[in-house]
Amino acid sequence: MKTAPPTAPANSASVSTTRTPRPAVRRAEPRPRAAGALVAVGVGVLVIAALFVIDAVAPNLFPASLPTRAEDGLTLAISVLIESLPFVALGVVLSIVVQVWVPPGVIERWMPRRAWARRAVLSLLGMVVPVCECGNVPFARGLLMRGFTVPETLTFLIAAPIVNPIVIITTHQAFGFSDGILIARLIGGYAIANLIGWLYSRHPDPDGLLTDRFRAMCALVTDEPGGRARRSLAQFVIELRAVMPALVIGSALAGAVQVLIPREALLAIGSNPALSIVAMIALAMVVSICSNVDSFFALSFASTFTSGSIVAFLLVGPLVDIKMLALMRTTFTTRTLAGLVVVVVLSAFAIGTVVNLLA
Amino acid sequence: MHNAHSVGTRWLGVGLAAVLAVVTLGLALTGRLALYINPESSWFAVGMAVLVLVGAALSFALPLGAEAEHGHDHGIEAVDDVHHDTHPAALAATVVGGVAASGVVLLTLVLPPASLSAELAMSRDVGAPPLFAGSDAVTLAATGDTASFGVGEWAAVFATATNPDAFEGDAVTLTGFVTPREGASEGFDLTRLVITHCVIDAQPASLAIAASAPALDSPLDTGQWVTITGTVNSTADGRLEIDATSVEPIDEPEDPYEY
Repeated sequence: MKTAPPTAPANSASVSTTRTPRPAVRRAEPRPRAAGALVAVGVGVLVIAALFVIDAVAPNLFPASLPTRAEDGLTLAISVLIESLPFVALGVVLSIVVQVWVPPGVIERWMPRRAWARRAVLSLLGMVVPVCECGNVPFARGLLMRGFTVPETLTFLIAAPIVNPIVIITTHQAFGFSDGILIARLIGGYAIANLIGWLYSRHPDPDGLLTDRFRAMCALVTDEPGGRARRSLAQFVIELRAVMPALVIGSALAGAVQVLIPREALLAIGSNPALSIVAMIALAMVVSICSNVDSFFALSFASTFTSGSIVAFLLVGPLVDIKMLALMRTTFTTRTLAGLVVVVVLSAFAIGTVVNLLA
Repeated sequence: MHNAHSVGTRWLGVGLAAVLAVVTLGLALTGRLALYINPESSWFAVGMAVLVLVGAALSFALPLGAEAEHGHDHGIEAVDDVHHDTHPAALAATVVGGVAASGVVLLTLVLPPASLSAELAMSRDVGAPPLFAGSDAVTLAATGDTASFGVGEWAAVFATATNPDAFEGDAVTLTGFVTPREGASEGFDLTRLVITHCVIDAQPASLAIAASAPALDSPLDTGQWVTITGTVNSTADGRLEIDATSVEPIDEPEDPYEY
C-alpha cells in the first residue's frame, strides 16, 4: 500500500470520536491536496479527450474490414454494449445511492419483519426502481453490501427484470391479454423469484453462495474511509470494475453464439408442445435480449410456436441468459448460478406446459 | 505490484466504461447511433454516457489503490485477501477475461461502425411473418394511409391481410436489399432488417418482388441495395407481391435499419 494517502490511518479514530457532519480530518485537509485533485481531474479530461480523438481518427487508419461473420458478431456485441451501458451506469448510480447516501435504517424501517414477507416486498421493488436487467446486478450488489441477506437479494434480482412497469407495458403492447401470456409472465416471474428466495433461505450457509472476491469487497466497503463524495467515487470504481468485464464478455459471447448457431437449428423443432418449450428456452438463453423488448421479438414466433413456449421464452430470457449469467458471476458462485438456472428453467418449463394445456 | 493491480482495476472498470461512453457519444455526434440502437432511446444512452465520462474524469482524483483501502487496522489483511489469496486458475481466468474484454472494447473504438450483413439477415429469416407493432400496421393499412410504410410494415400487411384485394394497386416506393426468393427462379425478395430496440433484436422483413421486374443490365447480387417503385398486386393464389416498374441499385443508405 505504498500509494495510500497519509490521511487514511488517522481516519477511523476521528470518525469514531466525532459524529459531526464534518469530521476533523476533512477540515484539516491541506490546500495542496485540493489543487492536486484538480490537476488529476484535468489529466482525466485530457485522457478522455484523447479517446475521442482516437475514436474519430482510428477508423480511417484501419479501413480493412473483418470477415463478414466476425464483423456481424462484433456489431451485435457492440449494440448490446451500447444499449446496456446506460442501464449499467444507472444501476451503479443507484448502488452508490443505496450504499453511501441513504442513511442506515431508512429502507429497513419500511420492510416487514418476517422473512417471506420481506422477500415478497423485495420482489416488487422492481416496480419502483427503474433499472432493467443489466442495471439490476450492480444495484443488487449495493443491497447486499447494505446488509440485505443473500436470499432476499436473489429474490429481488430474479423478480425485478419481469415485475417491472416497462416490461409490463411492452409485453401488453405486444400480446395484449391474449392466451394469458402477460399474466403467466408476471405471476410466473414473481413466483419463480419467491421460490428461489425460499429455496436459498434454507441454505445452511447463505454467505457461501457469494464469491470470495465479493465477500472480501463487502468487508472493505462497509467501512471505507473518507467523506461521502470520496466513498461514492470509490464505489463507482469498484462497481464498474466488477461489472464491465463481465458485461463485455457476456455481450461478446451473445454476439458470437448468434452468428455461430443457425437459428433454423433451434426452430426446426417447431410446434411440438414439449419440444417447442425447450427450443424457446434455448433461444432465450442464447439471444440475450433486454427484457424491455423481448416480447416484440417473441411476437414474431407467436404464429409458429405454442403460447406456452412463448411464456417460457419470456420467463427464462430476462433471468438467466448468457449476458446475465456473466454479470451475476461477479457476485455469486458458479454452483449457485447452476442451481438458479436449473430452478428457473424447470419452473419455466412447468409454467409453459400449464399454459399449453390451458390455452 | 499494487500499482499495477490498481491500474488494472481502473482500466477494466472505469476505463472500459469510458471507452464505450466515448464510442456512444462519437456515434451520436456523427448521427450514426441508429446503426446500433433505436434513436428513440438515444437521449438515455447519451445522457448516461456523459455521466460515465464525468465520473471517469473525477475518478482520476481518487488516489490509485484508494478504492481498496480500509479504515481499520485489519485493513491490510483484508486487502491481501482480495489480491493474493486467489487460486492461480482464478487469477488466470481474470487475466484472460480482462484481455478479452479489453480486446473487444478496443476493437469497438478503432473499427468503423458497421451494419449487419445480408447473409445474417437471411440466416435469421425463419419463415415466420414479422409482426413488429402488433396488428396496428394492418389496421392502418386498411384505411389506405400507407405513405409512411416501410418494408417492415408492408411485410406485416402482406403476411396478415385477410382481404388482399384491398391493397391491390397501391403505389409504393421502397428501399431494401436483395435476397434470393425461395422456391422461385425469377424475381427476388426485397429485405430490410427491422429493429425494436437495438441491433441484437433485428429481424428480417421481406417482400416478394414479382418475376416481371424490369430487366437490368446485370443480375442483382444478394445484398445489393435497391430502391424500387411499383404497385401492390395480388397473385392468382391470393398472395400479395409488388410489381416493380423500376429497380434502381443504390449504395447502402446511412440508416440501413427500419425502426
